[in-house]
Amino acid sequence: MPSSPEGKLHPDDKTNHYLSALAELGDILINEEQTSDATRSILRLMLGIIMAPEGAIFLYSEKSAVFYLLSKQGFDYTEPIPADKYLIQKLEYHGKDFLDRKKTERIKNKAFTDAAKDMNAKLIIPLFYRNNPLGVIFIGTKFMGESFTALDENVIRVISNHLVKSLHNSKLLSALDKKSNDLNLKLLEQQTLFDISVAISSVLDIDRLGDDILWRSVGVLNASKGIIATASENSPILNISSSFNWDAANVLLSRKLKIFKEIESSQLGTILVSGQKSTLQKKLDEEHIIVAPLRTKNNILGYMILCNKESRSGIEGFNQTDLELLTALCNQAAVALDNARLFKDITESKQFNESVLGSIATGVITLNELGEVDSINKAGRKILKMEEENILGNHYMFLFEKDDEILDLIQKTELNEKIQTELNISFLTVSEDTRINASVSPRADPEGGVQGLVLAIEDISDVSRVKNTFKRYVSKQVVDEILDDDTKLNLGGEEREITVLFSDIRGFTAMAESMDPESVVSTLNEHFSAMIDIVFKHNGTLDKIVGDQLMIVFGAPIAHQDDTERAISTAQEMQKMIKYINKDRIKRKEESVHIGIGINKGPAVSGNIGSRDRMDYTIIGDAVNLGARLCSAAGPDEILISKTVYSAVKEKISCKELEPINVKGKKEKIPVYRVL
Amino acid sequence: MPDFNISVREQNGVVIIDTDGYLNNVGGEIIASECYSQLDKGKKDFILNLEKSPVVNSIGVSIIIEIIEKLQDVNGSLSYFNLAPIVDKTFSIMGLTKYSTIYTNEAEALKNLT
Repeated sequence: MPSSPEGKLHPDDKTNHYLSALAELGDILINEEQTSDATRSILRLMLGIIMAPEGAIFLYSEKSAVFYLLSKQGFDYTEPIPADKYLIQKLEYHGKDFLDRKKTERIKNKAFTDAAKDMNAKLIIPLFYRNNPLGVIFIGTKFMGESFTALDENVIRVISNHLVKSLHNSKLLSALDKKSNDLNLKLLEQQTLFDISVAISSVLDIDRLGDDILWRSVGVLNASKGIIATASENSPILNISSSFNWDAANVLLSRKLKIFKEIESSQLGTILVSGQKSTLQKKLDEEHIIVAPLRTKNNILGYMILCNKESRSGIEGFNQTDLELLTALCNQAAVALDNARLFKDITESKQFNESVLGSIATGVITLNELGEVDSINKAGRKILKMEEENILGNHYMFLFEKDDEILDLIQKTELNEKIQTELNISFLTVSEDTRINASVSPRADPEGGVQGLVLAIEDISDVSRVKNTFKRYVSKQVVDEILDDDTKLNLGGEEREITVLFSDIRGFTAMAESMDPESVVSTLNEHFSAMIDIVFKHNGTLDKIVGDQLMIVFGAPIAHQDDTERAISTAQEMQKMIKYINKDRIKRKEESVHIGIGINKGPAVSGNIGSRDRMDYTIIGDAVNLGARLCSAAGPDEILISKTVYSAVKEKISCKELEPINVKGKKEKIPVYRVL
Repeated sequence: MPDFNISVREQNGVVIIDTDGYLNNVGGEIIASECYSQLDKGKKDFILNLEKSPVVNSIGVSIIIEIIEKLQDVNGSLSYFNLAPIVDKTFSIMGLTKYSTIYTNEAEALKNLT
């Protein structure tokens, strides 16, 4: 800088000097983006103009309540200066003018005065933007110990005002940046909440969903790690279902921990801070923990536990805002997880139902509200003998168009909303031979309404065939007994104790000779029909009809303890029935009929006997032969029994012992008894 | 995955850093340290492969911003590829995409940088 011979600047030089300084100040304010760079340049400029070698600018931090060093030149002092509200008030009051050392004493703040002393500051300029403290400038001794002139003070004032404006703008920009960053973080939080709500309806894989929610929560809350611990119904132990950045899978957490009990009771999450020494902190070996329940309407599914909130300066505790955010995330997450869990349950339940339906022999066909088939199980397809694609979507009116009974059944259920059942009906949809038991029931929806029908069909064609076959020989009760438990049935041939009853019409050959053939047939039909009804009534097995003779077996194919007694009862009722029939015959002026009956008990071989082409279930053996001989020996209206029969029934039935008789095939006479 | 690891390779003068782990304070600092070290060696263009870093937090993002600022001073660049949807969204919301570029894959990134 040029100077006059007296060491003073020429006025023109001074003007140029200050104009140049002003231009430089403008450049600094425009070009320096960083506050620290700008203040350093401004300080350098200011000290250069007023010719002071030492100075420092301190910025005020409201948060820390200190002035901290921003820029300095010459001074060694770097310590922050405590700045409580009283100091700020006094600086504001006294700071309209520059403070010198003397004025500083009046402030009566030791720390501030000591700092000024340490720096050997001659001028102190508090920086306020309106009432807001921004900082303070300390300026040391002027070059060569000269005093500051009024011009110097004006320069300082002008530059300070620019500095205040610059600092204020910087503070605004910084606040704006922070606001912008906060808004971005808020947006990120909202986006995370939104993403989780989207996941509710789109992600149904419960494990993936848990991981996804945890990852998002850890990230948005700046946690260093996290876990989701889920509760199970049958165990107090919480299952670590998801973990992030944490080898915590082997941590044993119980629902009975105090912290979880408190959360369960209050339904609110909690924050654990350093020094609390809770059991959870010890178990996880972490100090800063935040826990929120995954809460649905009815229960707590588990907990999200995050640790260590990160900041640029290290780990810090979670705060209430974090807890509110985590609670919101957990509420969303709980709905999502509950949905996924329900979906899993429904899928498993569906698979279970399909598995059950697939394994049962009953065909199950479900009809929707429109009457269309919406599902059919494996047995149903087998009974219908149709491919699934030809059944599904078909209306029942078309599917069962040939089966009026089924259509009627379905329509009755539609009308009455009650279960309708029909047994042993034909099923023409499949064939004329097919017979089914059918049952139609309403499909109830969760609200108790009806959302379609379920048709259950049981193919009983085989059973029906068995019945039709067997019913010619045995009673319905015996058929049912065989069908209920076929282990009782042994058609393969075995020796067993049986009671055999023979009956034949006395003198029928001679009688038939005097009758026309039609009368012979009608007489026999009337006779056998009545007799067989009685046989079946007593669960006897019709073994053979030969001419006018009936062979009835008790004890085969199924044995009962009272076989012999039932044989006697059958014989007695047959004789009674003959008397009853004869009354009619006499009225019709027809010849009366009389039968003789022989009953024996003993071992015989039962089974399917015959040729490959024709095979019949029958009984053979001595016991059978003797039964036939006793029948031959019996007179009209007489029932003769052997000794084995007598021994079995003598306590219950009145009998008379007759003279022993000779029978064909026996050397010795055999004892014989007449049933009275 | 409690640790954060990187592997560094170079292709046509571009430094490619493959990351593995949570891009948080720790992860960010490791990346920054590597970038600054490479910067001292004269490298200016960096690509982060974030395939194995599916989660990022705001501290990690702020460190990335610092790296971008440093690279801008030397006319360098930072780009990324293989971003998980959550990371992609976070970078967009936090404003990173204004100052750096997200590519779909490494080939696309290299094609645009070399």
